[in-house]
Amino acid sequence: MSDELIQIETPFAFNEENQRAFDALIGRYPVKEAAMLPTLHLAQRQAGYITPAVMKYVAEQLEVSVMKVKDVVTFYPMFFEEPVGEYVIRVCHTLPCALQDCQVVLEHLKEKLGTDVASETNLAKGTTADSKFTLMKVECLASCDVAPVIMINDDLYKNLTPEKVDEILDNL
Amino acid sequence: MAEEKRILYEHLDVPDINTFDVFRQYDGYTRFEKAIAEYQPEDIAKMVMDSGLKGRGGAGFSTGLKWSFVPKDIKPCYLCCNADESEPGTFSNRYVLEKNPHLLIEGILICCYAMGIETTYVYIRGEFTLGKKMLDAAIKEAYEKGYLGKDVRGTGLNIDIYTHPGAGAYICGEETGLIESLEGKRGQPRNKPPFPAVEGVFGKPTVVQNVETLCNLPFIVGNGVEWYTQMGPTYADTRSDPPTPDPNTGTKLYCISGDVNEPGVYELELGLTSTELIEVAGGLRGEEVKAVIPGGSSAPILTHYELDTRLDFTSLTLAKSMLGSGGIIVMNETRNIVDCLLNIMKFYAHESCGQCTPCRWGTPWVRDIVQRIADGNGRKSTITRPKFGVAENGRWGDTGETEEIYEDLDLLESVANNIANVDTMTWNTICVFGIAVSWPAVSYMRKFRPEFEAAIREGKLVTLSVAEATVPPEENYAYQQRFVPKEFADL
Repeated sequence: MSDELIQIETPFAFNEENQRAFDALIGRYPVKEAAMLPTLHLAQRQAGYITPAVMKYVAEQLEVSVMKVKDVVTFYPMFFEEPVGEYVIRVCHTLPCALQDCQVVLEHLKEKLGTDVASETNLAKGTTADSKFTLMKVECLASCDVAPVIMINDDLYKNLTPEKVDEILDNL
Repeated sequence: MAEEKRILYEHLDVPDINTFDVFRQYDGYTRFEKAIAEYQPEDIAKMVMDSGLKGRGGAGFSTGLKWSFVPKDIKPCYLCCNADESEPGTFSNRYVLEKNPHLLIEGILICCYAMGIETTYVYIRGEFTLGKKMLDAAIKEAYEKGYLGKDVRGTGLNIDIYTHPGAGAYICGEETGLIESLEGKRGQPRNKPPFPAVEGVFGKPTVVQNVETLCNLPFIVGNGVEWYTQMGPTYADTRSDPPTPDPNTGTKLYCISGDVNEPGVYELELGLTSTELIEVAGGLRGEEVKAVIPGGSSAPILTHYELDTRLDFTSLTLAKSMLGSGGIIVMNETRNIVDCLLNIMKFYAHESCGQCTPCRWGTPWVRDIVQRIADGNGRKSTITRPKFGVAENGRWGDTGETEEIYEDLDLLESVANNIANVDTMTWNTICVFGIAVSWPAVSYMRKFRPEFEAAIREGKLVTLSVAEATVPPEENYAYQQRFVPKEFADL
């Protein structure tokens, strides 16, 4: 990532609330770099996704190279490098959910939202035209007893059927 | 019918047990108070050793033994609580975090006291937003009540607990991967040795324990070792003379999902069989059990011939499988094993951290082979190779017989065994993720070979009846020699 690229992006800085949260975080670890994951979570919550400007800012705050931040961002599936919809819908499709027909739920969501499933390298593929939803498949969400499950942003929805999915989407 | 024995989960459904005051009404923190009032740190470590508590996270390593490896003279020492519950089929930690977080804090306090630890990091997987919120609130309360922070309860102990969110990587549940991730790097596991007990997070001695293991500590301290060891079987390890006790003590939070009527977490004494467990979980949904995965998706599968295998650490190891994290997935006669394996292999191909070549390239390769078989394009050939015997002309020579080779099945086994060899139990990767891939791949294929062969032969997925699909134990080396371990008390 070259410096020119970073400069054309809108610069990023924590807002007051996140700055306070960040200051509290940094005191927890003997080295600043260790606060990487929680800091990126804060930044992503504020900026929507991790832009090069965010990476540069986080790198400055943690006193590491931008490359190290990029290294971490590309490793973890929960960090997005592309814009995502207002609601990120994560559909679990690992074995226990698959045994309870998560495929039906996924197909229903695809049809209802009129979008494909996002892949990790192409989030736009799973994002609706109005940027309201991003549909993606994820691995086990550790709720196999109430399968099939989906997560919409921070909330878990259990024992789904196409009818329940309709109800949930209508109430968002 | 086996009865539930709720200890960790006893007060789980009490309303507001997540608050300090209600937890306090149910003996909350009295076990920690007992520990600091009546015992020296060494006594606690000895109690844990004597209780035979085994790590509940997957490896089943003795907790007391792990603690004994930590050097006493290097400070600071850290505790990492592993709440990165990502193994498919496992979901018991989620309920502890969301409903009874103070129990975990009490367990952490006891561990910190025993080991002289001042800082604990609870590594919670990123998707557990509610669990993290509840634990954070409980930690805040514990600070306010003086159970955390400087000079805890006037004892001079300083104990801090911090939560650290993960970001969706399965491999961070591996202890050294967790440590790397905690240090703010990619969660790629480290070579062992040095073991984390000697050189862990920030280069200091580190104890890594699962949530469930830590939650056992208050009860061991509160009710005593004798009470604890009465639960679960203690086997005799006859490899040494005289035999040494091999404890499988305590209860286990069995997470049962798949084709049962009432899936959920059931807390039972260790050592009951799959048949009993299915009965506890409301019985089988369907006609017949086709297969049971005993310890999360990385555990080798059990067939209907092995339903009498006791689900504890020792018995399952002898059955060439493992209890792992206790995530039990039941499949009935309608399930296709090829399809199930494909799902699991997709999971591992996605979750490989990419550090070691055999795993980085091997996992997608195995997935592609299974995908090919499932799509009906599995490779098979009929080959003629010299097969020596008495030929038609009555003389010794090539008999001209042909042999049918399922190339893809041989390839599958070969690729999987080159990530990690399940027969010799050696792996060509840094961490045990390698064996977690080849265990299911090879065991499914060996135990349900007819179903794989049928898929290749017919060019589509064919679900055979349970009897037809399963290879009987007599014909197959995927099974152990089946003997029932003898209880120590019987000797």
